[in-house]
Amino acid sequence: MEWFIANASFIAGLTVTHLSISVGPIIVGAVLAILLARVIPRRLVNPTRTVLGAIYAIPSLALFVALPALIGTSYIGPTNVVIALTLYVITSMYFSARDAFGQVPLATLTTSRALGMNSRQLFVHVELPLAVPGLIAGLRVASASTISIATIGAVVGVRDLGYLFLDGFQRKIPEEIISGIVAVCVIALALDAGLWLVGRLMTPWRNAKVNRV
Amino acid sequence: MKLTRITAIALSIGAVLGVAGCATASTPSAEPIVIGSQAYYSNEIIAETYALVLENAGYTVDRQFSLGQRDVYVPALEAGEIDLFPEYTGNLLQFFVPDATETAADDVYAALAKSLPAGLTALTMSPATDQDSYNVTKEFASKNKLESIADLATVDGLILGGAPELAERPYGPTGLLEKYGVTVSFQATGDTTVDSLVAGIVNMANVYSADPRIQQLGLVTLSDPKGLFLASNVVPIASEKVTADARKLIDAVSAAMTADDLVAMNVRSVDEKLSAAVIARDWLVSKGLIK
Amino acid sequence: MCNFGELGAWLCAEGTWTGRYGLWNLLAEHLLLTVVSLLVAALIAIPLGMFIGHTGRGTFFVIGLGSLSRAIPTMGLLFALVLLLGVQFRELSVVLALALIALPPLIAGAYSGVTTITPGIRDSATAQGMTTRQLVRHVELPLASPSLIGGFRIAFIQVVSTVVLAPLVGLGGLGFGIIQGLALRNFAQVTVSAVVIIVITITGEQLIGLGQRLAEARLVAPKRLEKP
Repeated sequence: MEWFIANASFIAGLTVTHLSISVGPIIVGAVLAILLARVIPRRLVNPTRTVLGAIYAIPSLALFVALPALIGTSYIGPTNVVIALTLYVITSMYFSARDAFGQVPLATLTTSRALGMNSRQLFVHVELPLAVPGLIAGLRVASASTISIATIGAVVGVRDLGYLFLDGFQRKIPEEIISGIVAVCVIALALDAGLWLVGRLMTPWRNAKVNRV
Repeated sequence: MKLTRITAIALSIGAVLGVAGCATASTPSAEPIVIGSQAYYSNEIIAETYALVLENAGYTVDRQFSLGQRDVYVPALEAGEIDLFPEYTGNLLQFFVPDATETAADDVYAALAKSLPAGLTALTMSPATDQDSYNVTKEFASKNKLESIADLATVDGLILGGAPELAERPYGPTGLLEKYGVTVSFQATGDTTVDSLVAGIVNMANVYSADPRIQQLGLVTLSDPKGLFLASNVVPIASEKVTADARKLIDAVSAAMTADDLVAMNVRSVDEKLSAAVIARDWLVSKGLIK
Repeated sequence: MCNFGELGAWLCAEGTWTGRYGLWNLLAEHLLLTVVSLLVAALIAIPLGMFIGHTGRGTFFVIGLGSLSRAIPTMGLLFALVLLLGVQFRELSVVLALALIALPPLIAGAYSGVTTITPGIRDSATAQGMTTRQLVRHVELPLASPSLIGGFRIAFIQVVSTVVLAPLVGLGGLGFGIIQGLALRNFAQVTVSAVVIIVITITGEQLIGLGQRLAEARLVAPKRLEKP
């Protein structure tokens, strides 16, 4: 506790960095995953599943370090970690996005068509809103894992909350490591609660009281 | 905040590539000097001394600390993304020339100066050292009458602990056998090397010589009469963006820092759990390098 | 093959495949750590998840756990455990850390497996005079098995990719090749280690997925009952 109090502003700074490198990938990754889930034709579903599954299985440490060599990004700075995290969000969100759209009842879709909606209207006004619960559920999983995986970035020089683990382990300061774990969990849970709230606000009909006759 | 940092890095890269000719201008420039450090608390303290002394003289500094190990940051140094980095002569030489044979401090320094990539300079090295060394517990040393690495030749069942890469280093198991006729099996112990030695998981360990736990735990550092290890003095590596005036400031820091100073600062980091900035500032003030 | 540049040379080098830190040994260690951690987690998670599902007590616990489990940074957990328990217990620390991240998906799998059983099935089992013990053993466990195996699939993926961190605390596993390879700038070693990890992750996931489908198929169409 003593260490935590003495270093509170330092931890706050690391938390800001941590959020700044993870929030972007969560948003961008989610949007890309939703787009992918929509544009990939049925016959390419299985190959896509294999490719994304393989990307998801790449150890984060290896991916962080391989990126500068593979795509010519800068060696230092957060770019590599940001790109890698975005890839993980896409791979994890893609499957839940497909499921979410798959669960929209066929009857609703055909009814909407019959009402004269075009594909764009159908997507924006029917499919997307109805898929929100599933999408939010997937996003909550992706966001929690992203906050957690971002700590590995410290091994390749991104000074986020993971720094507390490496430094605390070298200097044998358990409070430093525990402060890091708690900070990571707190921001992950805060994001999780935020996403849950967004989900509630976006689906007002689910909270409405059903008037039984 | 993040964007400005990226912009700063981008600008500094541009500056190194485009206006390298102006690099020797004598006034402190507005453009920040990017200082890096390893993900090693002791290295971060040294980097912080450079940063503070430069800031004290009116330079703008951009701290890019805890950039992992050499495999991560040396490419960044080569690419001009970092301007100043505290390094260790022997270990850095071995990174560029894996089979380097120099072991004495001056020879290592000369060889390093020659092997650095274009655009990078080794500034004056410090008397402070932080080099690989083989250590055993006091009990193990007295039981087997050990003072030098050579004494190990008659001991059976040696297990050497160290970072995973020690297995392949010239001073690792192969070097021990070739130079001293000592046979060891290797156990990768990562960041738990000293604890593993104390716990008896290994019976000899590769520990950096400035590690405070050598003193605290009364470990015995075996002497190295045949020069298995390269001397490894603290040495600042600078890009052309570091001006002659800035270099003078850094040289003064290097000259003032003794091996004991470095250990003492490391002790403060581990025992008093202070941040690198606090330890570096106190030391600079004690040496009269800043007020 | 040895002529194919850096990669081929490394694959043919002495010590690449055999010895304490040879690929075979590291692969075996990686799989062993994964399996042991999953088993330890299963011993706790399956009874706990089924208990919660059966009684309905502690449901909030299962739901809260889902998000938290993915958020816990394993590297920090691992370092904290090694530091607090001591380096002598590093194997235990690794297994504990891995088991902790495997617990939530396994509990969730067991829980949802039990809660999704149609109430009628349970009632008829009770009506036939089954004790609670028999009900759990002969009705709930088999019916929950596909969902349980689904939990295993998620736990496996998390654990097998986290074992990569074990070398940071002085153990082996395939992460050793990544961490040593990075320090030595041996990219052939890093690449091969990463590819092996990807292959075992995907293979394991596919096998567990196959097990899940078999368990489902057995429940949907019990072949023995088709022809009286």
